[in-house]
Amino acid sequence: MGPERAPGLLAGDTFNLRLARRSLGLLALCLILLPFADLAVTTHDPWAELGRMLDGLLRPDFLATESLAHAIALTVGFALWGTLLGMLLGFPLALLFHRSRLVRGGCAFVRAIHELFWALLLLQVFGLSAVTAIAALALPYAGIFAKVYAEILELTPRAPVDALPEGTGRLSRFAYAELPMVWARLAGYTRYRFECAMRSSVLLGFVGLPTLGFHLESAFREGRYAEAGALLWMFYLLIASLGWWGHRRLLPWLALGSLFLLGPWPDVDATLLWRFVSVDLWPRPLLEGDWTGLWRWLGDIPDLLPAIGNTLLLGLLGTAGSLVVALLAWPLASRHFGNSITRVMGKGGLVLMRSTPELMLAFIFLLLLGPSMLPAWLALALHNGALIAFLVARHADAFTLDGPPLTATGRYAYTLLPRLYDGLLALLFYRAETIIRETALLGMLGIATLGFHIDSSFAYLMFDQAFFLLLVTAGLNIAVDAIARRYRPRETSSHCDRRVPGDAAC
Amino acid sequence: MSVATLVRFDAERLGHAQHTVLAELTLTLHAGERVALLGPSGVGKSTLLAALRRRLAQRAAWCPQEHGLVPPLAVYHNVYMGRLERHSALANLGNLLRPRRDAWREIQILCDALGLDGLLKRPVSRLSGGQRQRVAIARALYQAREVFLGDEPLASVDPHQAERLLAMIQTRHATCVIALHQRELALRHFDRVWGLRDGRLVLDAPVRTLTLADLDALYPDASPLTDGSRDGS
Repeated sequence: MGPERAPGLLAGDTFNLRLARRSLGLLALCLILLPFADLAVTTHDPWAELGRMLDGLLRPDFLATESLAHAIALTVGFALWGTLLGMLLGFPLALLFHRSRLVRGGCAFVRAIHELFWALLLLQVFGLSAVTAIAALALPYAGIFAKVYAEILELTPRAPVDALPEGTGRLSRFAYAELPMVWARLAGYTRYRFECAMRSSVLLGFVGLPTLGFHLESAFREGRYAEAGALLWMFYLLIASLGWWGHRRLLPWLALGSLFLLGPWPDVDATLLWRFVSVDLWPRPLLEGDWTGLWRWLGDIPDLLPAIGNTLLLGLLGTAGSLVVALLAWPLASRHFGNSITRVMGKGGLVLMRSTPELMLAFIFLLLLGPSMLPAWLALALHNGALIAFLVARHADAFTLDGPPLTATGRYAYTLLPRLYDGLLALLFYRAETIIRETALLGMLGIATLGFHIDSSFAYLMFDQAFFLLLVTAGLNIAVDAIARRYRPRETSSHCDRRVPGDAAC
Repeated sequence: MSVATLVRFDAERLGHAQHTVLAELTLTLHAGERVALLGPSGVGKSTLLAALRRRLAQRAAWCPQEHGLVPPLAVYHNVYMGRLERHSALANLGNLLRPRRDAWREIQILCDALGLDGLLKRPVSRLSGGQRQRVAIARALYQAREVFLGDEPLASVDPHQAERLLAMIQTRHATCVIALHQRELALRHFDRVWGLRDGRLVLDAPVRTLTLADLDALYPDASPLTDGSRDGS
């Protein structure tokens, strides 16, 4: 037998090499499809605009916004009640989740439609009211809670149940030996979801509900950057101080107190509601049983296929971009690299990017760069990449490096990344569902994804078309989630624990 | 004089669907007998105890090896779980919010006797290993059943305490089967020894006919020179 030949580029069958080939495949696909994306910069002087924005951020004007306190209170109130109702709906569903295909399907459907689209739909019935805002959060959250709670409950240790005396009832068993074992995890996830609800609640301002986002959008759009800066700082402050004002004992009082601010409650005409649900949402030819008419109706939807194509393309670009950002950014926040100053700055930057909702980021980039796919891509890549980088850095910090001292690149490429990469990729593929959800949403800023057509259909009161596009969006999300689940690294090594799904879903 | 037979295995195979743990098992548990179950780790003591538990059903109090406690709940609630099946679901839920007065009094007396006084309200997660062990014993005693089945209930307590706990268990249960590693304890406080080795019952004899050396033979790793040194481990 002759000497063994060194393997060629990326050849070999180790776990990490397979992952590397998979990720490079993703990036290659992305490069091939890049010419189809509209990435033009259409503003004349983006740098001057950026300067004015930064100036606004550095010299915020906290007194410019009227009724700022009211907007903050509404933001918190919507988030609280949306999370609370989502939890109350989601928990019983979680108990049925693994037993009923119907429940799983229903949950996948409600969570596939973004909060803002729910808001657009509910807006038609309940107007610009708290009912719209709270239901828009509670419905998708119920689906998310059902899924994640079910996953957590599945991990309940068996030993306490086995120790119970024979003949113990189902309910007693659950209350004594099962629920207490996972209570901390359930509570932790609910708390995290409340933080997500705060971001979503801000976003509800984009469809006209009077939260912080409403004032933010108008301030940005009208170039009042000092006011916009103040509102952004306000938002970051609110998120950062969550641990302090979101105390377990304080939350019930906040929830009760906010009830007084949420009114006036809308009068809903039952016959109009019924008409909306049974007639307005469905294509007329379908209701009349006119099949050729239905075909024509379908053909009348403008640019359906390009919209689906753009949604998928942006989703793919966003996922690949997040991968690159995460790979580059995680060392910034890890204790294995840099010094204390770079780490504080790195962590701060990542938290800032992570806390800013994508739509907000995309909106800011849109003002800078003009309407194309570029601002949406940047926003998706930065937000999701930062989120993943933050979690990966936390993973990295759990390792102690022993062995000979290595250079920074040595540590990165030889000691740390090989242990972290499967976790990173798992997070990315979990995130793909969220990215495609948000991709559709970014259409509301004028990028020609499905969301753009949903938004304009609602604007022209073509509810049947809007509803159909919502169904298409939901179907697309469910399909992408299934694909991502298929390609997500499964044989994760021991350090990549099962906490991942909760952390990554938002 | 005839003694009632509680459980009888007749050339039975114990184990999981694929994997036989104990083959050709033949033994009888008589009422009023105190049995020590000996053998190296992983030999099938837990499998035998689980089979006994299934046969005895409502007549056996059960103290499992890894305790099976619920760490976030208080000591009181963990002990109360021993009688979960005797109350309605509503009463059990109510007890989580506000302890039942009668149960509290009874559990308090029991815990005082086990050296757990003043710990009733403390979550089990904040107890030491030995304290957890005693909570698991308290829960089994609180069941107040005819037969006590314990899977190494004395593993993480010191030798003096082990004697005291064993005395408590045996005054409350005429019949018991307890897996343990302390062979001297087995000779002093039990009527009969069941010894397992290599997937079989190799020893089933009254204690008065046995010596420490007989018990040593159950452990393949024990050299005859270190006689007695394994006790209390």
